Formats: sequence, C-alpha cells, structure tokens
Amino acid sequence: MIRWPGLLLLGLLLAASPALAEPVVPIFADETAAAGIATVYDGDWDYMVGGGAASFDCSGDGFPELFLSGGARPSTLYRNRSTPGGALAFERTDAITLDAVLGAYPLDIDSDGVMDLVLLRLGENRLLRGLGDCRFADAGAAWGFDGGDAWSTAFAAIWERGQDWPTLAIGNYLDRNEDAFPWGSCTANWLHRPDGDGFAPPIPLLPSFCALSMLFTDWNRSGQPALRVSNDREYYKGGQEQMWHLAPGAPPREYTEAEGWQRLRIWGMGIASADITLDGYPDYFLTSMADNKLQVLKDPASGRPEYADIALARGVTAHRPYTGGDLNPSTAWHAQFADANNDGRLDLFIAKGNVARMPDFAARDPNNLLLQARDGTFVEAGDRAGVASMKIGRGALLTDFNLDGRLDLVVVNRWEPATLWRSVGALDGGWVQVRLARPGANRDAIGAVIEIRRGALVERHEIAAGGGHASGAAGWLHFGLGAAESAELRVIWPDGSIGDWHRLPGGTFQILAPGAAPRAWHPG
Amino acid sequence: MDLNRRAVIALALAAPLVLAGRPARAAGRPDTAREVILTWHRLILELVRHTPTYSPPVASRGFAYIGITAHEAMAQGDPALRSLAGQLTDLAPLPPPPPGGLDTPCVVHAALQAVVQAMFANTGPTGQRAMASMSEAMGRLAAQGMAAEVVARSVAQGRAIAAHVLAWAATDGGAVVENLGFPRDYTPGSRPQDWVPTSLVQLQQAPLLPDWGRNRPFALPSAAACGLPPPPVYDATPGSPFHAAALEVVTVSRALTDEQKLIARFWSDDPMLSPTPPGHWIAILTQIAARDRLPPEVIAAALARLGVAQADAFIACWVTKFEFNLLRPVTYIRRHIDPAWEPLLITPPHPEYPSGHSSQSSAAATALTAIFGADFAFDNSTHVADGLPVRRFPSFAAAAAEAAMSRLYGGIHYRFGNEAGQAQGACVGAHAAGLRTEA
Repeated sequence: MIRWPGLLLLGLLLAASPALAEPVVPIFADETAAAGIATVYDGDWDYMVGGGAASFDCSGDGFPELFLSGGARPSTLYRNRSTPGGALAFERTDAITLDAVLGAYPLDIDSDGVMDLVLLRLGENRLLRGLGDCRFADAGAAWGFDGGDAWSTAFAAIWERGQDWPTLAIGNYLDRNEDAFPWGSCTANWLHRPDGDGFAPPIPLLPSFCALSMLFTDWNRSGQPALRVSNDREYYKGGQEQMWHLAPGAPPREYTEAEGWQRLRIWGMGIASADITLDGYPDYFLTSMADNKLQVLKDPASGRPEYADIALARGVTAHRPYTGGDLNPSTAWHAQFADANNDGRLDLFIAKGNVARMPDFAARDPNNLLLQARDGTFVEAGDRAGVASMKIGRGALLTDFNLDGRLDLVVVNRWEPATLWRSVGALDGGWVQVRLARPGANRDAIGAVIEIRRGALVERHEIAAGGGHASGAAGWLHFGLGAAESAELRVIWPDGSIGDWHRLPGGTFQILAPGAAPRAWHPG
Repeated sequence: MDLNRRAVIALALAAPLVLAGRPARAAGRPDTAREVILTWHRLILELVRHTPTYSPPVASRGFAYIGITAHEAMAQGDPALRSLAGQLTDLAPLPPPPPGGLDTPCVVHAALQAVVQAMFANTGPTGQRAMASMSEAMGRLAAQGMAAEVVARSVAQGRAIAAHVLAWAATDGGAVVENLGFPRDYTPGSRPQDWVPTSLVQLQQAPLLPDWGRNRPFALPSAAACGLPPPPVYDATPGSPFHAAALEVVTVSRALTDEQKLIARFWSDDPMLSPTPPGHWIAILTQIAARDRLPPEVIAAALARLGVAQADAFIACWVTKFEFNLLRPVTYIRRHIDPAWEPLLITPPHPEYPSGHSSQSSAAATALTAIFGADFAFDNSTHVADGLPVRRFPSFAAAAAEAAMSRLYGGIHYRFGNEAGQAQGACVGAHAAGLRTEA
C-alpha cells in the first residue's frame, strides 16, 4: 500500500520532472469596469459573427490604444492611460463612433508612420487614415478605395513585392438580403490591389465561400506569401477551406487538389498561425464548432500544401467546455498564439461563445487558455488563469496594455460589454518586446519573419496583418524568454534581406530597423 | 420521355377522374398544395443540412414524421385516401376534421409549418429566420383568395394533425439527441474485430447513436425484423475471406477512375455538407414531383412511404451495426495491409457492417419502385449547387446499387457490407411499400 506521504513524494517528483512539469499558470484580473471599458457588441442576426478588437498606438506614447467594434451600436476607441506595470486605464474617446462595424485591423496603409485603421462593416467598409494624436479621417475616397456594400467579416494585408502600397484582402459573408434560402448565397471576397497612391477597383476572389478569417502567409518559405481563407461551411455550397496563389502582377489563383491542396470543410471562424512544431514552417490553428484543427505541413520537402491535423495529439481540440458544467460542444472564434506565461513556449488563447442561443452547443462556453508544456502538448488553464468567462465571446487580443512584459487580454462579447483582464501573477521567465521599423513603404514590415535562436532551435515568427476573428493588433511584438536572460534574434525583412543576429537583453523594448543596431525604447 | 414517366403522368392526369366522387377539397387547388409541399421540403432539406444534430439516422426520422404529417394532412376527410393510423406502430387515429369546409393548401401548410418548427426547434439563428420567412410566405400563398373562416379552420386542423404526430413522435426513443449523437462515455470493444474510432475528431471517439436501434420502428414489426447473418469471420491471415475483402478495398482504391471517384462523392452525402443520404432520396422524389407536376396527394403519400422506409432502414441497420460492431476498412488495412492507406471519403464514425447508405438506399428504392414502377428513369440533380453534375438513372434500383458501390469506391465499406445492406434495405422497404395510402 502506498501511504499518503509516499503519494506526496511521488507527486513532488513528477512535478519536478522536466517532461511532466505543468506550465506556470498566468493569473488575470478582470479590470473591465475599473479601466472604463463598456462597449457592447450588439445586434441581431446580421451581427452573429464579427465582434472585433484592434490594439495599436495612435497617441505616440508607445502604449497600445484599444478599439472595440460595437456591431449595431457605435464603436469605441479607448485611449490607453495605463502606466508601466500599473492597473489598466483607458479613456473613452469619440474619435471613431461608427456603427455597423464587425471587425477592425490596424495598418499603416500610406506608410506615413501614423497607424491607420481598416473597419469591416455591414455595408460600406472604411479606411480611416491616422492623423496623429488618435484623430482619424475617412480616406476611402482619397485612396480610391471602394468600400462596397456587403457583410464583411475577414481581413488580411500584405505588401506585394515591389509595391509601395498594400494589397488588402477582404472576406465577405452571405447575402444578408436572403431570407428563406440564404444557404449558398456567399458573396464575393475582394482583393484590393494598389494603384499608385491608392487602390484599384477590387478583384473578386471567386469562388468565395463565406470567409470568416484570412491570412497572408509564406506557408512554404518560398518568399511569396499565399492567402489562406477560412470559410464557414454553414453557408457555402461546394466550398472548402482555400488558399490562393498571389504572384505579383498575376491574377490570384486558387491552390488545387492537383497541387496537393486537400479538401477540408469546417465551420471556419478564425486562423492563428505559428511554428508550433519548430520545423521552420508555419502551422495553422483553425477555429470551428466542436473540434478545432491544428494543421502542420506533412512534408515540407514535397512542396505540396498537404497538412496533417495534430489537434487531438497536442490537446488543442478544445471541443467542449472544460469547466462550468455545460457538456455540449463548444463554438470557437478568435484564436491567437502567444506566450502568456513567458516560459519561452507559445500558448494558445481561444475566445468561445454560442452563435446565439443554439441549444445543441454550449451556452456556457468558457474561453480557453491552453498552455504549452515542454513536450509540445497543451494544458488547459483558462479557469485557473481567471479567463474562463461564460459570456458569448467573439474577437479578442492578447496584448501587453501596460507594457510590463506580461500579456493582458481583451475579449469582445456579444450582447455584453467586452472583458478586459490584466495579467497580474508571477510568470515563469523573462521577455523582450520588439517593434520593426522600415524606412519607406511598409514601415511595420508586414511579411517579415523574426527568428529567435534558443539553443539549437530557431523559431520563426511571421509578422502578419490579418487572421484571428475580426481582430488585429499592431505594435510591440512580445516574446517570452523562459530562464534565458536575453534573446538572440534576427529579422528577415519583407524584401528577403536577412538582418544580423542581435542579442537583446530581457525585460527591454527594442526597435529594429534594417542595417541598424537595435534601439532600446523605454515606456513612460 | 420514357414509357414509365408517361405512365405516371397518365396516372396523375387520371387521378382527378378516379377521385371525382370525393369531396371537393381533395382536388381543390392542387397546384397550390403541390407548391406548399415542395417549397417546404426545399427548406427542410436545407434545415437537415444545417442543423448539427441531423446525422443521417436523425434525418431519416425527421423525414418520416414530416412525410407522414403531409400525407395525413392530405388524407383528412378524403374518402379516397387512407390514413396511416393503424398501419404504423402506435399511431392512433388522427383528429377528425371539424364541421365545415377545409382548404387543403391551408391544412397542409399549417401542418408542415408546425411539424417543421418543432422538429427543427434546435436549428441555428439562420434556420429560425428561414422558417419564419417560409411560414409567412407559404401562409400567404395558401390563404390567397380564401375566406378567413375557412383559413382559420384549416390552419387549426393542420396544427392539430401536427400536434398529434409530434406527440406520437415524442415516444419513439429518438426524440432527444445529446452531444450531437455521440455518447460522452464510451468503452470500446476489446476483440480484434471490434470497431474503433477512425477519426481525429475528439467528439467522434465514440460511435454515433449506438442506441438508435432501440427506437420504435414505423412499419417494421420489430427493429430486428430484417436482421442479417454475421459478416465473414475476422481473420488477419492473407488469403482469408476477410483479408480478401479488405484487400479488395485497397485494390479498388488504388485504381479508381474519375467516374468512380465522382460516384463516391456523389453519394457521399456527408452530414452538415449535404441533405444526408436519406435527404438525397427525398430530393430525388421532390425533383420527380416537380418535373412531372404530380398531384399533391401522390407526393405526400410518396414522402410518407419513402420516409418510413428510410427511417426503418436506419433502425434496422443500427441494430445490426452494434450487434456485430465490426471495424472499418481503414482500421484493418492499416493494421494488416498498408499502414499509410487513406480512403477517398471520410469514414463515418460508426461500425461497418452493414453499410447504412446501402441499406437505406435499397429501402428507398424499394418504396419508390412500388409507387413509380421498376424502370422509372430519372435525373438526379441533388448536388448541382455543390458543383456535382446531374446523374441519370434508369431505375431506382440502379441508383441504389450505385449508392452501395460508392461506399467501396470511397474506401469506407467492404463489398460484403454493401451487399448485406442492400439485402436488409430490400426487406425493410417491402414493409413500407406495403403501406396503403389510398382507400
């Protein structure tokens, strides 16, 4: 018989074993009310998807502001008044109060060094030009941007090779005017390519299958990003997940079965990408209803986009609630890889919430915070971390709002105010945050890759604008360091040039520019 | 036009003469009644596709009750038609029609509206919106030009019929589907031939609806009435009958022609991506009904008999599936023949023997052949919107045979599982074909 002290010893031994040690759980405190956040994502059937957040610095102080879409209600831009390491504090502004906003992505479109904002709307999409000091002006007409009239639900951007202006991909949902037979009415996605200092008329990306997330990604490290599109099978007919070739100057072209693209049909709602398997190629987490997918390239040497689903093996199916007593399948929306506990391994956050009141899916559907263990599997910690909200989540962002090196969290909720959490617990390691700064076009280096060397391993991180669910961030890029006191890091810039390796001290903010030494930056 | 189509049209044209002695309402506004039935079924096929609990067995049940409701709505007070009460297990006589005239389109619309809203109460917000829109549009169509008191009386009677059918349906054992039909706790069998999960989907680590065979059948005297002999004895030895059957799956999969791949995908009928296998056959019937402008009472009776045939086929099939609990080809092949083998289709999450699609397609073909004849040719355009072409069949039996073969092409069934399913379906279908819908 094993006595209790024996069990305790066994437990301690297991806890001390590197292979089995549980990741440190970050602790989050709900500071929504105290921080002054009160935006509700509201609306009826035509707002059942969307509900985006955007974080970016528009004040110039380095702290990220927060934009929250309000659906049928006005949206809100909150100015960040937090202090380093302090409680989260935001000041509501009236800078952007548009209604009918489903999603938002920050992007310095005109490369003037002031962040602009793309708003996905029910109706006409808007490009808001940043004027500085968190003021914005509609630049659609000036930039020749056709905002269209659709139910826009997905966004991604890239600077195509040789272009000074970005290419914008906008995903659209179904025809909102179809009442009795809306199924099969997916409307065309659009590709807005540049034309001088603005945009040409949009190219329809046909066929379109009710996109809810898009992401430009260099899936095969060819230097030529492709456009992944995650589609909602609820509404398409003959559809599937998609990926598009986007060769400069050539019409977009779908990847085909003959090229190795495999048919996958899910309730695609969000894309998160990171090199989880550390094979040098991006992996993709696709949110859906019930089981979610984690796709890894089967054979990079083949050059074929054939993916295996390792969600079950890695413990990230996140298919039903893990707490709260509701055993029905889950509904997943925004997903994001980030190192929430600074242990040097990427974790996965998933925002959850019923579509509306579908009785076969969980009504009490907690968000997931899946912490990556040393063996590459993930451990659920949403409840222990304090982020297992039962509200109806949609978009979300893990962002360091108070610049203390710990990632905070905001989740947009349907019919209730968004929730804002501050990471307040002791974490498992150091961190470094970097910002890419290029001269000329594409100042934030969208499409670049940051490589971090950790011993013999080199992690690759694509810098993207897009993906998730209706939510995007620009600004500091956060990397956990674990026990390391510094980060060894280099940048592969969007033009393919490879920067030098730099050793960046932990606990610092660094601005990286091509051909220059890192420049430290200090908040406050 | 082929001979059998002509014959059916002649029958349809003759029907008003045959039924001349009936009360006026049966023949009243047949075009409107037809449109009500077919338009509602167009929506029903979408709701089946888009309601997550509607796996094929659940869909078959829904189609059966909806078809029965349509027939009973048409049959009420019509001496030329015969109620299924007394023919279907535990179905008590329907509420008698009230005094005064009834309007058939209004009765049928109200009955379908009520039964559809109840059967799909769990569908998502878009389905709810569509049902509301359809209710308004069909209600307006049905009531057009009719006296208000007739409309009110007819709507009340339609609702009463639906309520009667729904109360009967509530007691069959299949009304509650939890966790999308997958048991939350499941202990797999330990014999080498036992089914094991074939999917990487966490939800599907248990088989779909293992108790579905306990449901009350409709026209079968018992769920086990069309049982099957055991499959070949499990054997990993090369050259054994079982190994040979699995090897055939591999051999066929490696030499698939484009036509065979198309056939596999045409009958794949995946839940949530199609109207499911039983919905495929409902779609065949409604396409024929629209093409040939069949009388509404013929359509409704056919929907009832087809629905019953398919629902009973799933019950019988599920009895057999869980009696033998046989592993799928992908499991056996990866163990004993080729560890890297991949089937063309996604393997459904339940035991292999027999093939459900084979069983229900054979049952469907048997029921439809009894109505339309043995050599009734038709075009099948069920998947045109999904990018698959129209396929033409010389008979319902030929279509059912192709559906069965499609499972071998798809790599998800052994040939013996398909053949056994066909035999079982023929047995089940004969019971549905024996139902009398005319007086």
